Formats: sequence, C-alpha cells, structure tokens
Amino acid sequence: MNCYFANVSRKGLLIAALSIAVGAGAGSAVLWTSGDVAADSGLSPGFVKGTNPPKPDPKMIEDGKKIYFRKCVWCHGVDGAGDGPGADRLWPRPRNFNQGTFKIRHTASGELPLFDPNKPTPGQNDLFETVTHGLPGSAMPSWDGILTEQQRLQVLSFVTTQLVKDRKFDDKTETVSILNLADKDAIKQITYGKESIEKGAKLVVDKKCVECHGTNGRGDGNPFNLKDDWGFPIQPANWHKCWNFRGSRQDPYNVKNIFRTFSTGVNGTPMPSFADNTTVEERWDMANFVASLCERDAAGKPLPIDPQTDKPKINFVVPSGFVEGEIPADPNDKKWQDRERRIIGLGGQITHKPRNFVNRIDDLWMKSLYNKNEIAFLFQWDDRSKSQVAPGVNVVPIEEAPPKTGEENSIAAKQNKYEVYNDAVAIQFPAKWQEIVPPEKPRYLHGEEKRHVDLWKWEADGTLKAYTGSGWDKPLEERSGATGKLKLVKSEFKDGLWTVIMKRPLKTDDKDNDAQFETGKYIPTVFFAWDGHNGDAGLKMAVSAFYYSILEPPVPIEAKVYPFLMALGMIIAEGWILRRRASKKKMTKS
Amino acid sequence: MDVIKQMLTGKLVEGYMPMQMLFELGSFALLFIGAFYFLGKNGIKVNKLAQATGLFVFSILYFTYRIYPPIPFSVRAIYATMTLIGIFMWVSSTEESWKDFRKPIIAVADANTAITKMIRTVVVVLLPFLVGFMGYNSMKPNVDEPIELRTVHPAPPASTKVHGKTFVLQTASSPYRVDDAGKYSDTIQKTHIDGNPWDEKAPPYLQYVREGGQIFFQNCHFCHGDNLNGRGMFAFAFNPIPANFTDPGTIAQLQETFVFWRVSKGGIGLPREGFPWASVMPPWEQHLTVDEIWKVILFEYWHTGYYPRTWD
Repeated sequence: MNCYFANVSRKGLLIAALSIAVGAGAGSAVLWTSGDVAADSGLSPGFVKGTNPPKPDPKMIEDGKKIYFRKCVWCHGVDGAGDGPGADRLWPRPRNFNQGTFKIRHTASGELPLFDPNKPTPGQNDLFETVTHGLPGSAMPSWDGILTEQQRLQVLSFVTTQLVKDRKFDDKTETVSILNLADKDAIKQITYGKESIEKGAKLVVDKKCVECHGTNGRGDGNPFNLKDDWGFPIQPANWHKCWNFRGSRQDPYNVKNIFRTFSTGVNGTPMPSFADNTTVEERWDMANFVASLCERDAAGKPLPIDPQTDKPKINFVVPSGFVEGEIPADPNDKKWQDRERRIIGLGGQITHKPRNFVNRIDDLWMKSLYNKNEIAFLFQWDDRSKSQVAPGVNVVPIEEAPPKTGEENSIAAKQNKYEVYNDAVAIQFPAKWQEIVPPEKPRYLHGEEKRHVDLWKWEADGTLKAYTGSGWDKPLEERSGATGKLKLVKSEFKDGLWTVIMKRPLKTDDKDNDAQFETGKYIPTVFFAWDGHNGDAGLKMAVSAFYYSILEPPVPIEAKVYPFLMALGMIIAEGWILRRRASKKKMTKS
Repeated sequence: MDVIKQMLTGKLVEGYMPMQMLFELGSFALLFIGAFYFLGKNGIKVNKLAQATGLFVFSILYFTYRIYPPIPFSVRAIYATMTLIGIFMWVSSTEESWKDFRKPIIAVADANTAITKMIRTVVVVLLPFLVGFMGYNSMKPNVDEPIELRTVHPAPPASTKVHGKTFVLQTASSPYRVDDAGKYSDTIQKTHIDGNPWDEKAPPYLQYVREGGQIFFQNCHFCHGDNLNGRGMFAFAFNPIPANFTDPGTIAQLQETFVFWRVSKGGIGLPREGFPWASVMPPWEQHLTVDEIWKVILFEYWHTGYYPRTWD
C-alpha cells in the first residue's frame, strides 16, 4: 500500500510540474507558437512553423534499446530496416526506419513526424501516438497497456536517434511545419453534414482521388500498379472500412484523422498531400465525404466498435426474416432493404496447409430472408478486383515458402504476381444439426468424418455447387443432386463490391446430406471467402468463426395474450393492496 | 503496483476484471454510504428508500455498461438479484432504518396529500403496463446469441505423442530452459530476463529465446499479436478471441508441458469441453518440429516475463 500512495503523490507532482510548465512557458517553451501565418512564410494554409525537437537523454536511448530488442526487433529488424524475422510473411511490410519516412504525421508532406522524447501530448507527438494506438490493417498493435508511456518514449528515443539513419530529428536544416489542429481559428472545422459531404463528393472527383480509391471509394481504382518507396506493391485505402485506416488512432469515425491525412499526405506512398492545392475548408469537405462512406447502421449512425479488437462489434447470429411471396432478386428491393445486415469477420486460414497469411477479404455483410418454401442468403463484400480463372489454368494454391530468402521472396513482393483464380464465397452448415446437442458442432473447417457438413460454394465463373465436407484433410465431394436444388439468384461485381444471392428449398428429400431449415432453431454456420487475385483457392482462403443462422419465428399467440392477463393480474393485485391499506387506516383511525 | 495504478485511471485492466469489479463496486458503495452519512451529519437527511434505489440503479448501470466484454442478461439478472438482497439486508438491519425505508411507500399507498395522491395514480396506472410489457418482452421470440461456456484450460492428458515421440507431461521438461552447461534450470530465465537475445555473445538460453521469437513472428502473431496479448490481425474474426499471454490467467498459470501439449495438438486436439470444433489454433506438429515448439514456448515466457507453473 505504501507504494500505491507513492505513485499517487508522484502523479500529483507531475500534474503540478506540468501546470507550472504550461504557466511559465506560455509562448516560449512550448513546441511552437500559434498565431497568424505570414503570407510569405511558405507554409500551406492551416500549418504553423515549429521548432526541431530536443535530443533525447542518452539514458532514454539506452533504456529504449533494451525495449526495442525485446518487443520490436522481431518485425522491424536489428538495423530497423523493416526486415525482422516476421517481415516476409507480412503485407503491408513493417516500417523501414532508416530513411525516416513515416506515414502518419501532423507535419507537411516529406517532413519528419513530430516526436518529442519528453512530451507524450496528443496531437504533438506523432510517433508516440502511432505506438500507443497501433496501425490497424497492419500487424502493428496498440502498445497501450503493454508498454508504459515512459517506455514508449524511451523506445522511440532509440528508434529516432539510432535507427533513422538518413536524417536527424534535431538537424536544424529539417523544416518543421505543423498542422495545428488545436488552433480553432486557422483550422475552422466544417461540421459533418449533408452540405459539406455533397461538396466533398464533387471534390474527390475534381482532385482525382477516385482514380486510385475508386468511383465508390472501395480502393478499387488502381489496385495493382501502385508501389511504395521501397518498391513493394501497395493498395489504395478502402474508404468503406475506416477502422482499417492506419491513421484512425482507435477512433475511426473521427473526421479529424482523415483531414490530417489529406493535409499531410502519407509519406513513402503515392498518397500526396492536398495542403497546397486545396483550402482548409475543401479538405474538411473531402474528409467529411470520406467519413460518410464508412459503413454505418440503418439509421446512419457509426457502427459500434469493439474496444477489444478496434473493429466493428460482431453479433454471431445471422437472423433470417420471413417474407410473403417471392424472395426478390434485387438487393435494393424493399424486402431486402428492410432486413438488418450482419458483419462477418474473416481471418486467414492458417490452421492447415496451404496457409493464407494475407487475406485480402476481411469481412462479409450478410442478410437472409425466407418464405414458405425457400431460404435465401445475400452476401456482399468488398474486393478490389473481379477475378476469374483463365481457361486452361490449373488451380493449385500454394503455401508461401518459409521466409528465409529475403525480400524478393516475401509475401509483400509477390503481391499482384499470383496466378489469378476465381473469387468465391461459401457457406457451411452441419448436415444433420438436429442430431447434435449444442454447443457441439462438426469442426469449422469442413466438418468431421462422422459428422459431415453441407457446404454451398459460389465461384466467379458463375457456378454454385453443393458439397459434402467430411474433414479438413479430405477433398470436398460435390453432390450433383443437391447442386440442382441450389439457385443462384444474382451475382454482380460493381465498383469493388460483390453481391451474390443464393437460395434453396427449406426442406429436401436427402435428409442425410442436405441441411434442413426449421424456424426458430439455431443452425451452426461458417463462412469462407476467396480472392482470386490473392492466389486463393482450396484451403488457401479466409475463414470466419462459428455463427448461427436462425429463421425468425412469428410471434406466438401466447406472447400476444399472456401479457394482457399479466397486466390484468397486476391491476387486481393493486386493488387488493390499496383496499387492505385503506381498511387498516380506518381501523387505526377509529 | 502498476495494476493498481492502471485501475485508478479507470481503464479496464485485462485479466483483472473480477478484482477490478469488486474493487470499484466496493469503493462506490463505500462512497455512497459515506456521502449519505456525511449529509445526515450535516442535517440533510436522505430517505433510506431513495438511498437504496440510488444504489440499486447505480449497480444495474455498472453491470450493464461498465463491464467489458458485456455480460449476458441472464447473468446480469443474477447479479441484480444478489445486489437487491444485499440492499434489503442493509436497509432492514435496524428497526429505525426499516421504518425510514417503508415510510414513503406507505405515504404513497395512503395518499393523504395531493402529491402522494398524484404519485399513487401514476404508479397504479404505469405498473400494469410495465408488467405487460415485460411479459411480452420475455415471451416474444428472440434471436440473441446463445450463451455457450467453454473450459479454457481443460484437464491435460497424462502424456502426448508428437512426431512419434511420447512426452509424459509430469516428467518432461523443456530441453531449452537450460543453463550455459546445458543443464535444465528453473532460474535461467530470471538471470536473463533483461538480456538481449540478439546479442551475438548471448548465452545459449537467450539464443534459443531468439530462435523461438523468430518462429513466433512467422507463425503465431497473426492471432496472438505482436505484443502477445491475443489481438493479432486475425483476432477480431474469431470467437473466442485468441489467448492473451500477458494475462495472468493463461501461460502464467500453466506448466510448460501443458503448453507444449496445447501447442502441438492445437484446437483440434482439445477435449470436448474445450470446444475443439470452434478453435482455429493449428495443431502445430503439422507445421513445426518438436524443437521449434519448445523454443517458441520458451520465448513466450521470456517475452511476457511470466514463469511456468511447476509441479508441486
């Protein structure tokens, strides 16, 4: 307990010290001074001139080195060249620190990021924030809770002085122009709203954003020809998945993060800064538009983000809604539009060979409807390209060789060079789920020998087939009879979005092999997806966890009657209590 | 100490959820009672019913919104019932407090003043609606996620056979947890906990740690994370999310040979209570040699700073 109080008082001291520093340093000791930007300063609108950061204390560098060789070296390498043992199975690759090229900054394009070894202040310490929040969509995790603030500053002191080799943070020839988001006068934020979004929608066309990011912003404009500064293939961001934005800082719907990226560009990548050819207002409009594309719920509200994973919260149930009459083939039909969609998270299949370390499809959106006779599933997912196997190509998925041959053989270098196979999705149910007592299920990966699964797989060449799976190590066997019962209602690729609708009768004759659908029952369901441009085929694919499909039962008659009876009972009870109380009162009075 | 510091910041500390919950609830209950006592001393008497209601509402809100990951409704209902019993015991502990608690209820029932009369009318009208609504809510079909409880650390077998060799869990030991002379050592990790495995002159133990780390970062981090906390790139897609080695409830609680069995046989090798059908954990004997498996385990303990549990 002693120690605990010591900590508290130290914190108190720190606060006291900080307030003194702030008080004394008004104007001089702070990192930069705010004020009007002189017309001839050469700074872009919204930027102010900063000063070079102080050199870290040698002790901090030394302590940081210890942390680096414990936590960071595994990906970033002994010399910080982004070539640690983990690097070759990663895409995007870990950062090569040597050139001092960092993506997420508050500084002008091409400049070093903000880093102050003594001040972990948000908005004033880019590298500290990167380590704290991680870079979603890459392997870089959030180190908050693993490394203390001091440790994060220490390791960055080591990285910025010893591993950034081509430039020096305290070099006076390094210019520091800071996008000062805290300066409310210079950075007049345009409120997120219809008007600004509409302006932004025009601007992203005018400024040619859509040439890379695609007409609908799904990152499908120029997916195969872009390279980073080190020659590795790189993909434009998909604006519909803001939780994968590297600079989202665990706050993906915050427009400020997007505004910052527009203003500073992303060093080392083809993403330029728009600071010189747009006004501050225009950048807000563009940022608001990009934020508006990020997936939202039916009411237009941001999706709830799971703080454990920093991705949209997943509900592991896919409910199927009842409709009268025909199930529509058009996903824009009211019947489909009224259905709630559910997100399905996908990871690479790395349980068995061939393993898929880079899965380009990381989620699906699912809806389901059923009528008296049939059940239909609507799949929608983002894919930067339509991939279809060319005639005569032999489909043999490969597992990447163990990474020991260096960069040229790394997964990152091989991107965009794979043999193109079919894009595909599949949905899997236990064949005889009625006989299995929950929570038991046949294994997620194609079931088991004694408990086989019914798997429906659609491929981009237009085929939809039913297979029996009886274990990960056995080939899927097509059942032609069952394939005949499946119907492909729609398959369409448009602007980086696949839409596939498939349906099947609820009940079939082959009760041993075809999954039978009953209302109100939780039926274990697994999803699989393949990106043909990723060399995905067979077990080289993306997989989901177990979900449950359930045909929503109609509201039973009991649920309509009993509540009235219960309310009536309550009224009688109330009358009884009040009467009793009244007679008691009379008695005490008399 | 670091943990208490983190708790004081109000952030949820992973692996300490039950402790933190009791700590926070206890502090808040004390704060409540202390505040009412203080107010009473200063002449502002807060009625016991109001106190009890405040405390109850607060705990419901706490169970619903504070605890993460959220606990299912059925469990929250149990917690709420227990809280209610506790509150009743507290208000009925003395005759005086019980009277104070009953006073407003009786006043409303008797409705001697205009205000109590109004409250009584509102309550009498609203209560049947509330009961009917709750009845409908519980009877209408729901499509919530079913609760399925999994045994996180199932009982291990006596022995496990990997790559043709049998390992008896009680007697086997890591061939790489060794001192410079190559002899098994329980203390070698402690000696080198701050060492640099990338130092060319590193002792054999640290070199094995480095080799283990290389294997980890080519195979395991996709799920278990670059900081070993179970939040790798693929983690969000899986249910349950991968094991967090920095949590004191995982490898810190297990013998090294237990971990060897789990790594070698993977999800598919779990007993039924561990839900083998749902785990994507590879049976690593399909991808790694016995030596590589021991080394990666050695690395996990060194990196997290935890020590394997010993057989005693």
